Amino acid sequence: MLKFVTPPLALAAALATLPAPAQVPDLNDLEIAHAAYTAGAIDIRYAHLAMALSEAPAVREFAAVMLRDHNAVNEAAGALIQELDVTPQDNALSQALLTGAAENIDRFRTLDGAAFDCAYAENELGYHQVVNQTVSESFIPAVTVAPLRELLADALVTFRAHEAHAERMVAELGCGS
Amino acid sequence: MSTGRSGLAGGILRGAAFVFLLMLHPATAHDGPHTHRVHITDFAFEPATLTVRPGDTIEWINDDLAPHTATAATGGWDTGLLSSGTVGAIVIGAEAAGSIDYICAFHPHMRGVIVVERDDP
Repeated sequence: MLKFVTPPLALAAALATLPAPAQVPDLNDLEIAHAAYTAGAIDIRYAHLAMALSEAPAVREFAAVMLRDHNAVNEAAGALIQELDVTPQDNALSQALLTGAAENIDRFRTLDGAAFDCAYAENELGYHQVVNQTVSESFIPAVTVAPLRELLADALVTFRAHEAHAERMVAELGCGS
Repeated sequence: MSTGRSGLAGGILRGAAFVFLLMLHPATAHDGPHTHRVHITDFAFEPATLTVRPGDTIEWINDDLAPHTATAATGGWDTGLLSSGTVGAIVIGAEAAGSIDYICAFHPHMRGVIVVERDDP
């Protein structure tokens, strides 16, 4: 089973086990749209949890950015879906993303203080690294509908900024040091 | 109404909605006020440095999907949230001078500079 969402405390090892983007199963446009939307919605869920559980300014600032930006991207996706009059299709990758997210959220809920902050921050970094690679190397080349490809490319700009922000957050928190 | 240390006047233009024209005074020596446009593209202000004169208008248009702002680094003026495709504007106050740093309040690594040149010696 594909697994995009990584155990935060074993990030490096987990990343090594993730499928390369080329190994992501062939998805059609509607399945890619569903998976991309799901990935954003998951990060919104993580952000809500961080806003509820963290008191660290760096974490709360990052989570607020995730809420604002991913909502904006998903709103744009929703508008495109409406314009194209199509329905995204659920698929194995979306389900794997949701299963991984549920496991992570269950684990996050058992943590507090610095333990939660670093778990969240490291997961955000790993999540964005893997999702960004998948979007750039698998989704965008595979999509056949130009407006969806353009939306994914625009979204990738945002997600890459998030990845860089996550790197700064992890460093600021001193996770793993 | 002063808008802070920068001496800039602030306002917001969303689409064709509205703009505040604060501290607009006549009598600049150049050929009248100009409107400058800064694109917010790929999480960067383009151009990153903009040279203007008192009375000019600066418009920021957000080409990204993510919301942004143009906000004085030291406070005093702010376009407010600019969602994708919308425009925010400020008008340069008559007393403004020098370099003014600004950022996106949501993504503070995004930085820009406004250089206000004056005709008076």
